[in-house]
Amino acid sequence: MTTTNPSAPLTVTTPHEREIRVERVFDADRDRVWAAYTDPELLARWWGRGNRLDVERFEFERGGHWRFVEHSDGEAHGFEGRFREITPKDRIVQSFEWDGMPAYVAIDTATFEDLGDDRTRVVTVSQFHTSEERDGMLNSGMAEGLGQSYAALDALLART
Amino acid sequence: MVQYSSLDATFAALSDPTRRGILQDLRAGPASISDLAARYRMTPTGITKHVRLLEEAGLVVTEKKGRVRHCRLGINRLEHEADWIRDHQQMIEGRMDRLAEFLDRTKGTP
Repeated sequence: MTTTNPSAPLTVTTPHEREIRVERVFDADRDRVWAAYTDPELLARWWGRGNRLDVERFEFERGGHWRFVEHSDGEAHGFEGRFREITPKDRIVQSFEWDGMPAYVAIDTATFEDLGDDRTRVVTVSQFHTSEERDGMLNSGMAEGLGQSYAALDALLART
Repeated sequence: MVQYSSLDATFAALSDPTRRGILQDLRAGPASISDLAARYRMTPTGITKHVRLLEEAGLVVTEKKGRVRHCRLGINRLEHEADWIRDHQQMIEGRMDRLAEFLDRTKGTP
C-alpha cells in the first residue's frame, strides 16, 4: 500500500473467489471524480501513473471500445477493452486486457459514492477471466458456475 | 501462445469438484489411481480421466511403477494467475495514487 494521506485511505481486500477490491476516498466531489474517469483529456493526466498516455480510442458508451497506450522507459504498453455498463456518476463496468498478456481478461467495476463534504469513495472490483470465459459470459449474460472454480483457485493461491 | 493454452487448461482443470478434491488430497502427499478411485468411489478409468486433465494443465504428474500409477502435484503452482492478479492490483493502486494527486492539483478549477 503506497498511500500516505490518512484522510484518503486505500483499502485492498479479496472478498471471495478470484476478485480483488480496491477502495479509496478522494477529497473531491463526485462530479470531479466522474469527469476524471470519463473525459479522455483528464483521464490521460492520471491513468498512466506518471507515464505519457495516448488515448487512442475512447467510445464512452455501452459496448464502446477503449484503447490506451502508456509510454515508459522507451517502451509502449497497450491496454484495451470494452465498456459493458455505464450508469452516469454511479458505475462503470469495463473489460481490461494488456497487449502483453493476451487472453487474460479482467472485468473492472468502478462505483462512485458521494460522501458529502466534497468527498467521494471509489470502489474498484476486478474479476479475472480467460477470454473464453468472457465470451461465454457475454453470451450467457452471467458468470454462473465460475464461482466454484474460483473459490478453489483462491484456496490454492493462498497456499502457494 | 503458451500462456493462453495453459491458462485455459488450468481453469478447465479446476472447474470440477472431483479434480479440486484430488488436488487437495495430493497436497498431503502422493496417491495411486486406485487410492483415489476408492476415495471418490469411482472406477479407476473415471479417476484416470480426471487425472489426465490435471496432468495436461501441469497441476499433477503421474508415474507408473509396475502396475501402479502414482500421482503427485506438478510444477504448475498457479504462479501466472497469482502474478496476474497481483500486477493488476498494483496497477490499480498506482492509478488511484495518481488520481488523488491529480484531483488535489486541479482543485478549484472547473
